[in-house]
Amino acid sequence: MSETFDLSLFWEYRLVLWRGLEVNALVFVLSLVLGLVLGLVACLVRLAPWKGLARAGGAYVELCRATPEYVALIWFHNVAPFLVGWATGIRINFNPIVSATLALGIVASGYFAESFRAGIQAVPRGHVEAARALGMGSMLTFVRIVLPQAFRTMTPELMSQSIGLLKTSTLVSVIAVPDIMYQVQMVSQQEMKAMPLYTGAAISFFVLIFVLTSLVERAGLGTRREA
Amino acid sequence: MDFLTRAIIANIPNLLAGIRVTTEICLISFAVAAAAGFVVCLLRLYGGPLRWLARLWIDFGRNTPIFVQLMWVSYAWIDLIGWPKDFFTAAWIALALQSSGYLAETFRAGIEGVDRGQVEAARSLGMGGVTAFRRIVLPQALLAMAPSFVNQFVVVVKCSTLVSVVTVPDLMYQALRLASIWNDPVEILSLVALLYIVFILAIASGLKRACDRLRASFA
Repeated sequence: MSETFDLSLFWEYRLVLWRGLEVNALVFVLSLVLGLVLGLVACLVRLAPWKGLARAGGAYVELCRATPEYVALIWFHNVAPFLVGWATGIRINFNPIVSATLALGIVASGYFAESFRAGIQAVPRGHVEAARALGMGSMLTFVRIVLPQAFRTMTPELMSQSIGLLKTSTLVSVIAVPDIMYQVQMVSQQEMKAMPLYTGAAISFFVLIFVLTSLVERAGLGTRREA
Repeated sequence: MDFLTRAIIANIPNLLAGIRVTTEICLISFAVAAAAGFVVCLLRLYGGPLRWLARLWIDFGRNTPIFVQLMWVSYAWIDLIGWPKDFFTAAWIALALQSSGYLAETFRAGIEGVDRGQVEAARSLGMGGVTAFRRIVLPQALLAMAPSFVNQFVVVVKCSTLVSVVTVPDLMYQALRLASIWNDPVEILSLVALLYIVFILAIASGLKRACDRLRASFA
């Protein structure tokens, strides 16, 4: 029994695993930035006064939210370079990190767009009207009145979406990004022992994400009470 | 008709077999997750000294990435507890493990959302605790929980694509196999991606409508 729960192999390979975790962090940050930027753009397009544009924004959001992340990863890694090649006439391959960033960032942008929209629509209309009555332009009203208030209500939601993205970023080993799960698979095969590494990875992620979620929950309650 | 179109048509039986496996995985893991989630929720609410176990289960299910769980159940459980013996079982266990954590919390929110006065009224009419729970609390709670169930089912369908990583022959597995045999991923992977998106949109909107109708018929 004690042999079964022996996690020393996980400790022995900590440097390799740490390097994998750094790659996870890189993919996470890159796709987070892409997701937030695209999400904000998609949200603004969706709220645009022109109906056709708004509908296109809505369709984009629905499409992102209905796409399984794994399918997106595989598609962006294997199909997207071909399509780019056909369009430009230059044969290219995506670095796995590029494919992973595109796939995870674009899928996440659908969820971020919804969080942004909820935050923006939660700002009372009266505030906008008051700002306009005071002579602010619509752009200025949005930047100075709507966005700061919206940002506050949507922060907890954006945080939990980001944790979701962190969880999804463990997937990228399927397109050979050398992240932590990739290293776990390599070492397990080399050592012919699957148990210690997979169990170690599961426990580590559980602790990491549990701590992050608890922090966000506490912070989230705090901001909500303030507002 | 070009070669690829014919090749795809020739492989429709494979794709249908994949869809079948995907459907099985989704239904089994969701049913198990709902049952386990209900038990865990009861343990969490009324378990007394065993509450911490329910909390650990819920937190572990919710806070571990599905891919990590899938690999863990598939490759580590056999050494830890000598089960499951095949990857199909491992796949639905992993999916159910994750969803049971979310569904347990859904059950809890639903049960706690039922007004206390309802229970008191039932008790004062002479119903026992279990009868009151079964006849008064549960039906109202289930109605309130329906939308969360739909969301979680969609999550299960999306996560089910991952089981191909542990060689369970679902739709994604069949697509990847054909892509590698033909050495041409463009059409088949795009087709399957489209299939998944259409499935998921259809399931989400269909179930949501059914849910709204159900709620409207009682409200």
